[in-house]
Formats: sequence, structure tokens, C-alpha cells
Amino acid sequence: MSLSPSQLTALRSLLDRIIPADDFPGALAAGTDTYVLRHLLGDCTAEAHVLLLGLSQLDAETVARHGPYQTFATLLPTQQDALLADLAAARPMTPWPPQLPAAPWFHRLVELAHEGFYADPANGGNRDAASWGMLGYAPRTTPERAAP
Amino acid sequence: MTSDHDVIIVGAGLAGGILAGVLAEGGRRVLLLERGRALAYSDIPSDHLRNHRLTLYGDNTTPDPAGHPRVFIDGAGVPHTVLPHDARYQLNAFTVGGGARVWGMQAWRFHPDDFRMATRYGVPDGSSLADWPIGYADLAPFYERAEHEIGVAGDHAGTTHAPRARDFPLPPVPRSPSAEWLARGADRLGWRTFTPPLAVNTRPYLGRGACIQCAQCIGFACPTDAKNGSHNTLLPRALASRRCTLVTRAHASRILTDGFGQAIGVEYFAPTTTDSATLERRTARARTIIVSSGAIESARLLLLSASPLQPHGLGNHSDHLGRHVQGHAYPIAYGLLPPDVESSLLGPGVSVATTQFNHGNPGIIGGAMLANDFVKLPLIFWRQSLPPDTPRWGLANKRAMRDLFRRGIDVRGPVQEIPSPDSRVTLDPAVRDTFGLPVARLSGTTHPETVRTAEFIRARAEEWLRASGAERLWSWPAEKKFSAGQHQAGTCRMSADPRDGVTDPFGRVHGHDRLFVCDGSLHVTNGGFNPALTIMALAFRTAEHLLASP
Repeated sequence: MSLSPSQLTALRSLLDRIIPADDFPGALAAGTDTYVLRHLLGDCTAEAHVLLLGLSQLDAETVARHGPYQTFATLLPTQQDALLADLAAARPMTPWPPQLPAAPWFHRLVELAHEGFYADPANGGNRDAASWGMLGYAPRTTPERAAP
Repeated sequence: MTSDHDVIIVGAGLAGGILAGVLAEGGRRVLLLERGRALAYSDIPSDHLRNHRLTLYGDNTTPDPAGHPRVFIDGAGVPHTVLPHDARYQLNAFTVGGGARVWGMQAWRFHPDDFRMATRYGVPDGSSLADWPIGYADLAPFYERAEHEIGVAGDHAGTTHAPRARDFPLPPVPRSPSAEWLARGADRLGWRTFTPPLAVNTRPYLGRGACIQCAQCIGFACPTDAKNGSHNTLLPRALASRRCTLVTRAHASRILTDGFGQAIGVEYFAPTTTDSATLERRTARARTIIVSSGAIESARLLLLSASPLQPHGLGNHSDHLGRHVQGHAYPIAYGLLPPDVESSLLGPGVSVATTQFNHGNPGIIGGAMLANDFVKLPLIFWRQSLPPDTPRWGLANKRAMRDLFRRGIDVRGPVQEIPSPDSRVTLDPAVRDTFGLPVARLSGTTHPETVRTAEFIRARAEEWLRASGAERLWSWPAEKKFSAGQHQAGTCRMSADPRDGVTDPFGRVHGHDRLFVCDGSLHVTNGGFNPALTIMALAFRTAEHLLASP
């Protein structure tokens, strides 16, 4: 699997809208892009090809809506959100390959992003337990005395 | 063949460890075979994507997951080859100690009427509902023994669904504010609640420390070894007796029988040396063989052991072997706590229960215990516990997580299933495991009466949250599906008459002198409770029966 520079840019912009930053870090500050990439290379190599194709399709959807000089990454956040809402509602403006309908592709990315963001930091997408800090969650497994 | 052992036990799970402990202390030389490894706390990862509560891409105990697939037949009859982390696999933990290494520790006695379901309710069309050949009184002393020798924390006076002679050895788990809130809601309905029994050290017991109420409980190993099972009680006793040999990574492939069809030994694959990746075929002989591998694998091993005298599998003389698979339907009602009641995020979390609806529900067969849930991981909350109209992405989702994570509450219960003979384990004709043996094939679905009971219990769960003052309330309808999972049971049901089951009331396979089954497979019905304490009580009972036998 290899990721083109434009696919990587699209992925980062996409994750930034799926889990945006506000008073607390969003997906990018938490390293969720690293998690998704690691995941595509690891547990999910079978999925990787179509998921990456979808990133290119995201730029095609952008062109269909906003003309040839834009990519998904160059859109305003409100434009990005409107485009993603269309995909989530299965209203693409370009033909998606039959093995890759727009809505399931988007929902899978949404799932992957949140897996990384809310899982344990060792999985790579929740750097410094950023999401857990937001929620007030900590495993608190440090024992007074180690178990055998 | 060697014959250095009196007893061979196949499986070092919750029951296998108890059998080994009682038999070895009783003077028997025991060979205990376990396909998994003996895992230290540090060997069981704290991975929120790969654990026994959420197996997205794996779990935290299974060795060699790819080498041991199962085949799942879906509702349209289509076979799917599935790996352990797939929900359709019906995974239980493959390690020394079994599921108890990572369990939620609910340690319930069954209700006396759980043993006589057919007598109480009649037998619905299409079901194989039957009474157990033993009753609550037969198991009561062994329930008590399990509570004391494994270590169960509970509320003696409050736990009234089944007669109790002796207090729990450990005080009940502490109640969280949200559990107190639920208890007040139940009071308003006139429902009686109490703190449920959990096999956890609420204070130091049997040489190990107390629970520190961490927030990563069910699905994971315990950092203070306060999560009780046979792995940290009876199994160490077995090994200390020096009469028990534990062989890990040992995969039983066949029960060996003699010319009269009697079991004489076990064929298994085990590492050539302790750490070797190479496995060799071995055989061991013993007078007594006990299969204790969980309802799916125990049935599979007996099916794999077919012989000319028993061509359909050992114990399959009356076509019950592998049938009547049960787990629990598990209806859940979700809600939001009012803002002045916060979830404490303290483990284990389950601390309020009612047994008001286990029996006596008008027009309904059986029922379920209802309780609150374990402390939840953030990702599990994101996947399961947000209100259904919450956007799944964007700032709205992130803010909902922030605002609601401490306010989620749910009530759930293990619904006693109405067994169906068509819900079954067979050998797959095509797919083989790493040793070339046919894998378990899982087929069939829930009896419609189970769905009806589950819907009744779901309505009670909603009623409880509503009366407590939940701000939002939602749930999902019960569906028919193949049900086994961690509560798997029923595939080697016990019966007084050989025509009605696989084993006798002590777990001895009908027609066999010294071949036993001991795990959830024996359960004729699976109770409206988590089944582990019943599995443990049966193990104590079978072991004592064997010690009393010449």
C-alpha cells in the first residue's frame, strides 16, 4: 500500500472535520492520522486499497462541487462539512466505484478516526491521552503492589 | 502410551482449575491440558481495541488466532469462516484460568426454578426446554463452597432469590452514586434491589490484595489480582500438591477409546519443549477423562472422538450432543443520569441488581436478573451509549461525548433462553484447524419465546430507568440470532435417562464408566443469571463425586 501526497493531505483534512479541535485537541493534535495510517498498514491491509481510493474520490467530489482549482483540503470548513454531510447521506456528485459506495466509505473513516481517538494512547491516535483528559477518564490501574 | 495419571482434564478454565485442585488435593495424579498459555498480568494487554469486552481487531488472550477458525452459518444458510475476534465466533478466553482472567466476576446462584423450567412453564413448540435432573438443593453446598474457596463478595441478607445457609466471605462491592440513584428508582416501583455478588476481593483474601476500583475492569486482567477465579485459587493449590501436571499450549485432538468404547486416554498436540513453536502429537492414558473446554469445544472434542462403536461422537447415542446451544439474550435500556448524579467511573461498576423478574412474569417463560453495567471504556461508550440522535461525527459528536460520558447509565439483564435443538455445534465438513481437524460449525437461532422474554425484560429495564428519573431513554428490540458467547452452555446436557441427554447427573457421559464433561455444556437451561458460579459449583460436585468413587 502506498499513499500519495494528495491522499495524505485529504486524509488529514478529513480527520480534522470528523474530530475537530475546539477547547480540546482534535484528531490531528492527538495523532489520529498516525493511528489511521498505521491501521491501514497493519490490521486492515485488506481494506486499505478501497479506503485510499476514497481519499482521491474526495478530491473529485470537491472538483464536482467547487471547480478544478480546489481540493478537499483547500475548502473552507463549512464547505468541507457540507460535502461530508452529502457523502454521509449517500448523495455523491461523482460516480463512486461499486465496491466503494460513498456513505459506507465515510462511515468507516468516521469509525476508524474515533477508534484511534478514544482508544488507549499506545494505539497511537490518542496522544497524551488527550481525549481521555477531555472526558475525565483514566484507567487508574497502577496498583499499590504489582500483580504476578 | 504413558499412564502416569489418574485423571486427565482437558481445559484449565474456571471448571478445569477447580477439578484439578480438588482432585489433586484428594490424592489423584492429575494431568491438566490447556490449549492457551499461562499469562501473567503483564502478558494480557490493556489494549482498548483488542480485549474481551471489545474485540475489534483481536483480543488479549488468544494464542494463534488464525490457526483455529470456526464456521458460522448465517440466517440465510451461508457459511462464514470466522476468527476469534469476530463476534460470530462466540469467543471465550483461551488461557489458563479461561474467561475468569478477564471476566466481570458476577457470581450468581441460579434460582431454584431455573432447574425445573419445563415443570414450571411447560415445553413450548419447537423448543427442547427440560428440567435439570438435579435441583437447587443438590448444588447449594457446592455454591457455598465456590463462594468461599474462590472468593465472592456479596450481600447475604439481600440476596434472597435462592436459599443461603452461610454469609459470603467478603463484604459487597461499594455502591456508586448512580447505583444509589437506581436503587431509589426501584424503591418507587416497589422493586427490591441489592448489591449483586461478585467474585472480587473487596478486601485482602486468600493471600491476595483488594480491588483498587480501577476503570479498566471487564475484558482485562486485574492489576491487583483481586479478580477471582480458579487460576488464582484452586489451580495454585493443585500445583502445590505436586500431584498436578499442567501442560500449556496442549491441544486435545481426540479422546481415545478401547475396543469396548470406553475412554482410556487423550491424544493431544503439545510443544516439543516448553518454549518451542513446534508441536508434537502425544497420547496420555488415565482411568478418568474430564472434558472441560467450554460448550463449543467440549462438544467438538466429543464429536471428533467418534469411533466404530460410537460413529456419531462420544455421548451422541441419542442425538443430543452439540444441540441446545444457549448463551443469554441481553436486553439493555440506555439513559442519561440527571446532571446532579454523575457516574463515578469506579470499577467494577456493577453494584445494584434486582431479581424481581426472574420468574413469575405473567404470560412469559422465565425472565432475567437486571443490574447496572460495568465501568465503561470511552470507545465502548462512543460505540454503544450515545443517544441515537447524536451526530456520529464533527463537533456535535465530540461535545456529546464530553457532556454525556459521565452521564450515561444502562440497565441490562441475562435472559434465560428457551433452548432449541436446532441451535447447535457440529463439525464443519470443509474447514480444518492448524492440525487438520474439522472446526466447530455453529448454526441455528434463538427460539421465539426467548425473544418474547427478552422484550418483556427490556420493558422492565426501561421502566426502571424511567422511574429513577433518567433524562433520556432508549433501547433496541431483541432479535433472533445464534446465541452462545461467553455464557455458552447446553451442548452436553445432563439427564437422568440416557435418551434425554449426553451425561448423567454427575456429568458422566452416558454409557461410559470414566468419561466426564464438566463446564457450561452440562447446563440443561442456563438460568436468568451469569452462569459462572453454577459452572464452578458443578465442578466441585463432580470432583467430590469422583473422590468418593472407588
